[in-house]
Amino acid sequence: MMSNEKYDVIIGLEIHIQTNTKSKMFCNCPTGYFHKEPNTHVCPVCMGLPGALPLPNKRAIELCTLMGLATNCDIANEIHFDRKHYFYPDLPKGYQISQYKRPICSDGYIDLDSDIRVEIERIHQEEDVAKSTHHTEKDTDKEYSLIDYNKSGVPLIEIVTKPCIRSAKDAKDFATKIRQIARYLGISDADMEKGQMRCEPNISVQEKGKWEYKDGMILPIGEYKLNAKVEVKNIGSITAVEKSIEYEVERLIGEIENGKDIVQQTRGWNADKGKTEFQRSKETADDYRYMPEPDIPVIEVSEDDIDRISKEMVELPDEKIKRYINDWDISQYSAEVISSTIENARYFEELQKVLSNSLDEKNAATEASNWLMGTVYSIGNLDIDINDLAVLILAFKDGVLTKNKAEEVLKDCIENNKDISDEVEKVKSEREDTLSNIDDIVKEVINNNPKAVSDYKGGKEATIGFLVGQVMQATKGTANPNEVRDILINELKK
Amino acid sequence: MKIDVKHIAELSRITLTKEESEKFTPQMETILESVTVLKDVDTKGVQPMKDRITFKDLRNDEPKAGLTQEDVLKNAPHKEDGFVKVYGKIFGGIEES
Repeated sequence: MMSNEKYDVIIGLEIHIQTNTKSKMFCNCPTGYFHKEPNTHVCPVCMGLPGALPLPNKRAIELCTLMGLATNCDIANEIHFDRKHYFYPDLPKGYQISQYKRPICSDGYIDLDSDIRVEIERIHQEEDVAKSTHHTEKDTDKEYSLIDYNKSGVPLIEIVTKPCIRSAKDAKDFATKIRQIARYLGISDADMEKGQMRCEPNISVQEKGKWEYKDGMILPIGEYKLNAKVEVKNIGSITAVEKSIEYEVERLIGEIENGKDIVQQTRGWNADKGKTEFQRSKETADDYRYMPEPDIPVIEVSEDDIDRISKEMVELPDEKIKRYINDWDISQYSAEVISSTIENARYFEELQKVLSNSLDEKNAATEASNWLMGTVYSIGNLDIDINDLAVLILAFKDGVLTKNKAEEVLKDCIENNKDISDEVEKVKSEREDTLSNIDDIVKEVINNNPKAVSDYKGGKEATIGFLVGQVMQATKGTANPNEVRDILINELKK
Repeated sequence: MKIDVKHIAELSRITLTKEESEKFTPQMETILESVTVLKDVDTKGVQPMKDRITFKDLRNDEPKAGLTQEDVLKNAPHKEDGFVKVYGKIFGGIEES
């Protein structure tokens, strides 16, 4: 790629996440607006009517703090809200209540798997805006917007990184990790398609060796003039984070190589066309006229408050992966897949626990991992009762049934809503029946397959596999193939 | 005290005629000058007047029904299918937040 030869890529990410509260940030209106009638979750506060008093949501501030704790941020001991002014129909008050100079969380970081540290400048609390769609009137050709204020005032946190991300892949990995942490801690479902999480990268490309990263800023070296940055919006998925940045980097390098000046601008990602499109230029700095929010007092945060919120912290994926590998010899890949969601990780850990009643700790973990990775995930069902699954796995370990038979039983139980323990019992008794007359079955197979028998006796030892198969078929897979093999060899010696 | 009325108008998405700009500029400058008097007040040793609350004083996260759609739309000059309708060109469908 051109970028690697002559240019460095500089990316900062802004990630907005709607946090998982029942009521809005500054009023009691319900938050769940998805597929709801427009303008039915609205009150004077989130409608911006004069005289309405905003009352901050305790849970929202706890969730913002929790996100900060999970990303190694410092937590402020005082919370200040500010007004950020701009005029737009989705913002009924004419300002958004946000935080300016003193965010709740600051100076954090998370480490990516590639051992790259992404520094987080701040995480602050704010409120979401209304949803607007834009149209043109057919008869008059007039442009207009339709506004639904249900989303107005939904708690929103904004995570801002320093411009320290150097590739589209790292930006994607960071966004993925933030989403995973938000979901692990129940901070948000962070579904990008539903707009619960939004990523806005700021991208610039600079000539190698002509700039330096100092105190969280990109500074030119000598006479070099930094190229302007571009902000990309409308990114609707994690994949699009990477794709849009890759596209934009190539576009920016093309412009520079053609001798064009980059104008600071906002572009929108068009997923259908796979390209970014110009939205507006930002020739002048944004003028939001921040001022302290006079309607909300300063909120004091004590050490006790932070301790209480810390109790909601759970073991995060990175720690789980380390523990699975170090304590239980699970492979890196399996550990990553198992810990990818908290539901998967919980299921795995509980299954391991139940299995350790009969197996040693590592063996239990290995079996649990093998069964989840090999069978359960492909069935895609985590509703299987853990104790039942353990019964099946242990029956397999005891040689009561083969792995194929066990998987067959599992699928049959799920599809036909049968009880796994009952089915395992059935297989057990069938097996006992078969075993009691296994000698007869073996004799029958030998009598019915004279060619294979003479081949075997003539030195073609591989033929034994065919005979084992015949016996297994006759026992409907209930016999243990190794035992069958031994019995056959003995019988053929006679 | 100078004021850039054109810039203020742009921020509020208002178009002013040349006459209006000329009329408003001195008016707004007079307002600013009046407020500037506050700068002369000696506030040495005076604490900023801002209320303080503790975490437990914050509002509990309990949803309650607000207004009906009918009431919400009463103040809207234009409406359509339960939405508030606003005329005017919006740049590129960007949602600010």
